[in-house]
Amino acid sequence: MTRSRIDVQDLLFGLFFVAVATGTLVATRNLTVGHAADMGPGYMPRVVALALMAFGLFFSGRGLWRAGRGIAPIQLRPLLAILASVGVFALTAERLGLAIASVAAVILASFATREGRLVETVAFAIVLSGAAVLLFVKLLGLPIPIWPR
Amino acid sequence: MELFDNLLMGLSTALQLNNLIFCLIGVVIGTAIGVLPGIGPIPTVALLLPFTFGLSPASAMIMLAGIFYGAQYGGSTTAILVNVPGETSSVVTCIDGHEMAKQGRAGTALAIAAIASFFAGTMATIVIAVLSVPLSVLALKFTAVEYFSLLVLGLIAAVVLAHGSVAKSLAMVLLGLLLGLVGIDVSSGVARMTFGIAALSDGLDFVPIAMGLFGLGEIIANLERPAERRVVSQSIRSLIPSWGDLRAAFPAVVRGTALGSVLGVLPGGGAALPPFSSYALEKKLARDPSRFGKGAIEGVAGPEAANNAGAQTSFIPLLTLGIPANALMALMIGALMMQGIQPGPQIMTEQPKLVWGVIASMWVGNLMLLIINLPLIGLWVSMLKIPYRLLFPAIVLFCCIGTYGIANSLFNVWLMMGCALIGYFFIKIGVEPAPLLLGLVLGPQLEENFRRAMLIADGDFTVFLSRPISAVILAVVAALLLAMLSPAILRTRKEALAE
Repeated sequence: MTRSRIDVQDLLFGLFFVAVATGTLVATRNLTVGHAADMGPGYMPRVVALALMAFGLFFSGRGLWRAGRGIAPIQLRPLLAILASVGVFALTAERLGLAIASVAAVILASFATREGRLVETVAFAIVLSGAAVLLFVKLLGLPIPIWPR
Repeated sequence: MELFDNLLMGLSTALQLNNLIFCLIGVVIGTAIGVLPGIGPIPTVALLLPFTFGLSPASAMIMLAGIFYGAQYGGSTTAILVNVPGETSSVVTCIDGHEMAKQGRAGTALAIAAIASFFAGTMATIVIAVLSVPLSVLALKFTAVEYFSLLVLGLIAAVVLAHGSVAKSLAMVLLGLLLGLVGIDVSSGVARMTFGIAALSDGLDFVPIAMGLFGLGEIIANLERPAERRVVSQSIRSLIPSWGDLRAAFPAVVRGTALGSVLGVLPGGGAALPPFSSYALEKKLARDPSRFGKGAIEGVAGPEAANNAGAQTSFIPLLTLGIPANALMALMIGALMMQGIQPGPQIMTEQPKLVWGVIASMWVGNLMLLIINLPLIGLWVSMLKIPYRLLFPAIVLFCCIGTYGIANSLFNVWLMMGCALIGYFFIKIGVEPAPLLLGLVLGPQLEENFRRAMLIADGDFTVFLSRPISAVILAVVAALLLAMLSPAILRTRKEALAE
């Protein structure tokens, strides 16, 4: 953890909340607000969003004001591999079936570390895929195709 | 005695054959998960929720509760043998437990941990049973006004007592509340923040959010710091502790149980606070504090008892008032809601079989842990040899299938992917995601009760202060928040939570 002239952790936290609050205010701009005795659907989202905005501005300001911790460098390899693994599962599960989607997801996820050995990974992926099909489709009756339709 | 009638009714539920089986499955899976470092009880419970949909509410809760306290127990095995805490609650057990293992007393440490856990579990079951009745009587006086104040208290107390910055945790609760508002507004039928996505009209499922934030985010962060594990396997010779060991450990077990029972009830304390406090207490009371860190048996017995007692009494707010004390209890509430049971102050009077069945099953489950775990210690040790490079792809896959299975929806898988990214971001900027989950689960109830209270009071905010029960609850909230501003308390909290 490096020292830094601004508090990067606070600043990023604050900016994240400002972004979420802004997004909420835009997304709910057409909802009726109403008043306390008879609240419209927009009342609570608006109140919460304004509170989030206040928190966001406070932390952004404090982050710029004082020195603090930087963040540890981001390693792209595990991040991208895990996200890609989930994404590939979402893209293929219903179209190609659980068996193929599982193999693809496991192999992609294993790229997250350099330790993986290709043969071991592929064999393990096939075993897991079989186990997943047995457990979720055969035993628990999850309505998902096993093979491509 | 009403107490015994209730416990008997609970036992009759807990001892039904199918419930015994689900309890057993729960504690075994929980122990396995607890033994494996790298995935905590929150994603595990989230992952296994879909499996419980087909069960009766009582069976589902019994199994999920078993996973929770089983995981607490399993964590201590890893802590003693590998010096890696399987769960955050086992961090303290590492200190003296692993030291004992290195001295060739691993068997004694494991046995003391098991006996301490069982004793604490038994006492905590009684504590729950004794406290539940008066609390549920009080709860019957609650209207929307009081319940709203109670929900606020639950959220604030959870934030104040948990790790990390209070202001950031409050912001995270609010973010959770906001996410809980997504979906069709119940009273007007208008879609809020759904961005035209049909899957969002029922609101955000909390399982993909929990799995993304806690499970996948954590895995990504884990992969960045390669950890090595070395199992102390040469020396599990004798599992039967000597008289001397038992005599040394027993007072610590009793103190740990008492401390854990009290701290567990407090929101936010959950599982992390009791073992730390117990360790500090034992060290303070010891005639020779320098033995601690070098294999003192009290340093294992006290925290293990506190840990287990706390895990169980943290069910009290959930089972009597319908309010979760921590993120894991929030998942339990979610499980109840998926079963069609609306948690709230009436839960004990409306679902006595369920509540008492779960309470009684905790004692049964603890007994199972004691019986199955010591003989099976070899099995758990061999599980530790599964390399992480094989473990984590399997977890990722099961997360994907599990999230999909909740509503057969690919949208949930995408949602989980987004939450994994956000969870990783939170870890990077050093923020605890647990308050978010509390806000998310309690958000809809908070809004509903707030709107109902305002409707009754015709928009008059002072109603929360003019009703006595609500006023007292809010006064506690104010006191908690004020206390947080006092530097002396801030320092104590820092010390209490320091690892």
